[in-house]
Amino acid sequence: MSNKQIILVTGVADFWGAQVASRLLSPATPETDYHVIGLDSEPPDESLKGLDFIQADIRNPLFVDLLKSEQVHTVCHLVFAESVRASEAAFDVNVMGTMKVLGACAEAGVRKVVLKSSLSIYGANPSNPSFITEQQPPQTGRSYGTTRNLVEIEAFCNGFRRQVPEMVMTILRFASIIGPQADTPMTRFLKQPMAPVLLGFDPLMQVIHEKDVVEALVYAIQNDVPGVFNVAAEGILPLSRLVALASKLPIPVFHLFAYLGADVMGMAGVSAGRHWPIEIDYLRYPWVGDLTKMREDLGFVPSYTAEEALREFAGEQRLRRYMPESAALAYDEERLRDTIERRNRAREISSSNLEETQS
Amino acid sequence: MSDENQPLEAFAEDEPLPPIYSADDALPEEVESLEPPSVVEAEFNEEELTDDEKRLRLIEELDALIERLKAINPDYVPPAFSPRRMIDLIETNLGRFSPEMGLAILDKLRSSVSQDLLDVDTWKGIWYMVNYSLDYQTDMLKRRVRGEYETDEWGYDPEVLQAVTPFLNFMYGTYWRVQTSGMENIPDEGRALMVCNHSGQLPWDGAMVGTAVYNEHPAQRLVRTLYATWFPTLPFFSALFTKLGQVLATEENGVRLLNMDELVAVYPEGYKGVGKLYKERYRLARFGRGGFVRMALKTGAPMIPVSVVGAEETYISLAKSDFMARLIGFPYFPISITWPWFGLLGFVPMPTKWYIDIGEPIPTDNYGPGAANNMVLVSQLTDQTRNVVQNMIYSRLSTRRSVFLG
Repeated sequence: MSNKQIILVTGVADFWGAQVASRLLSPATPETDYHVIGLDSEPPDESLKGLDFIQADIRNPLFVDLLKSEQVHTVCHLVFAESVRASEAAFDVNVMGTMKVLGACAEAGVRKVVLKSSLSIYGANPSNPSFITEQQPPQTGRSYGTTRNLVEIEAFCNGFRRQVPEMVMTILRFASIIGPQADTPMTRFLKQPMAPVLLGFDPLMQVIHEKDVVEALVYAIQNDVPGVFNVAAEGILPLSRLVALASKLPIPVFHLFAYLGADVMGMAGVSAGRHWPIEIDYLRYPWVGDLTKMREDLGFVPSYTAEEALREFAGEQRLRRYMPESAALAYDEERLRDTIERRNRAREISSSNLEETQS
Repeated sequence: MSDENQPLEAFAEDEPLPPIYSADDALPEEVESLEPPSVVEAEFNEEELTDDEKRLRLIEELDALIERLKAINPDYVPPAFSPRRMIDLIETNLGRFSPEMGLAILDKLRSSVSQDLLDVDTWKGIWYMVNYSLDYQTDMLKRRVRGEYETDEWGYDPEVLQAVTPFLNFMYGTYWRVQTSGMENIPDEGRALMVCNHSGQLPWDGAMVGTAVYNEHPAQRLVRTLYATWFPTLPFFSALFTKLGQVLATEENGVRLLNMDELVAVYPEGYKGVGKLYKERYRLARFGRGGFVRMALKTGAPMIPVSVVGAEETYISLAKSDFMARLIGFPYFPISITWPWFGLLGFVPMPTKWYIDIGEPIPTDNYGPGAANNMVLVSQLTDQTRNVVQNMIYSRLSTRRSVFLG
């Protein structure tokens, strides 16, 4: 036990925490010298084999003592409450919670912290460059809810990094996450029969597959890669093509009506999240992240391309209407073709990496 | 005619996409190729050809076209040929044209039949090509709906460009009769930064410079015009500009494009230039803050001065209303002799005669690293480029006799 690295994953009762923990515990991980502690205020639905579960809240003042006594090496902080509108409860969990976790980590001498963020923090602005680099400061603009919380967290982390330079802090800013299991704004947007888009606007979009999100987080836990990184799949698509690949019917709405409608729905207390799961500005202006730093400094390559992720998602949605998922796989040729291609590509990359290290 | 064949030739060389006949020019293309004394042929054959020879030449050309189509899509088998079906096909497609155009096409067809110029084999060839182009268009529609098309990372969509090309070519060749000189100053490959004057209330000059290079440059280069921050906020413009390969004007974007060895065009006068009053025409405004020079210095791209003459008179702007501009959130609001009095008709530009002159490149790769941070050098080069463009405009104006006739 003593020489095993101790990793603490917060939010294991939620999707991302559970996925990261199970990926760390899976035998596929080459270095299995991990002791994974899962932390959440409620127990995870399915018991993860080998997970050392602790039921606690991150905001508890004694969290520092827990970190100290368990001699935690790495913290992967994934507790995040999504909210469409500004909400005090969500703010308390997200922003205050993260501040408390980071403070506790610094005091307990945790060596590494990994955080999950989003490209949406750059804001969707008409003046955005076509490829936003990590240097561009986060911007709130019209944002509310989830994005605003993330911007606050990032602003805090920026200062925190300077105060505690000895800690390795990795923040991964993900593009819109898509996948058969994840519940994200983008999957909610594409799960409706019709996708509302803005008339005469067709911004370029990036996506990333849910598995690659988990892989990237695990990669950051296993490697020392301090810094902030944009992470997205290969391929930048116009929104119209993204909607078409997901087999959705785009319903163009004049943008002024869209803003008005969202405001009215917001005021009336109708959940604005249902028809506009993605903030309207994000369907109007581009917010494409530059991936140079991901490729060169982080060294992480997402396995799914944007098209593959969308095709898989669409195929799943199509067949799920008629039959259970397991049976659907027997007919989904497209998906298996993409899978074969993806695995071949991964093999090529790893063999070329091997050659490089040998030479 | 040589113009219309371009999509095909481009494909034969290196285009990844199949040739695109846009819906509107598909039919006249084939039909016109029936016309025996076409302009190109007349130029080619100054020694009088006999009808037989003309006929043979036509057949040869049609055969070559068919061969090319077959090579592109070997699996395509057209429906069986019959005169009745041929007529049906023509009938259904004639509906797309104005009555006069339709009549002209039918006349041409009829005359070529009576001249006994084309035998059944040629008709079969035409049958093949018309069917192919219809098939291709239905197929394209299907692909667009399914999302099976490619755009580059800047959002450039070649199919959309092909669709608007006929309109741009009309404005370029017929409406403004643009005369371009100095095309040899644009390199066949590699980075270059075109620096142009801006005028005419609406950015037609950008569209025409792009069309000029696409049509007349031997390498058919795509011009990446950097556009102002206002356009992304406008519906339709925002989507269209991106799909035509244009990019928002930020220094990062410009440097990235030039580093990718693209041909970039900038209009450093910006709103000040495009929104000029009629009485200020052809007097260049300030060339921005020198951002374009920094782009060129950072990437070592040569700056190619370009002057556009004729665009200033497309709309006659008498005054500007700051109040209206603020009210509707436009960067400027011109009051011209037609706008806003005649509503949308005020958008119709005057058919002036245009000249696009492309000057000699100004090299920027001999200043060494860090030159982009040298403000003295940057402002010097900015002024120098501005003077070159201004002088090019004056020298063109000195030979121009009429705004409409050139």
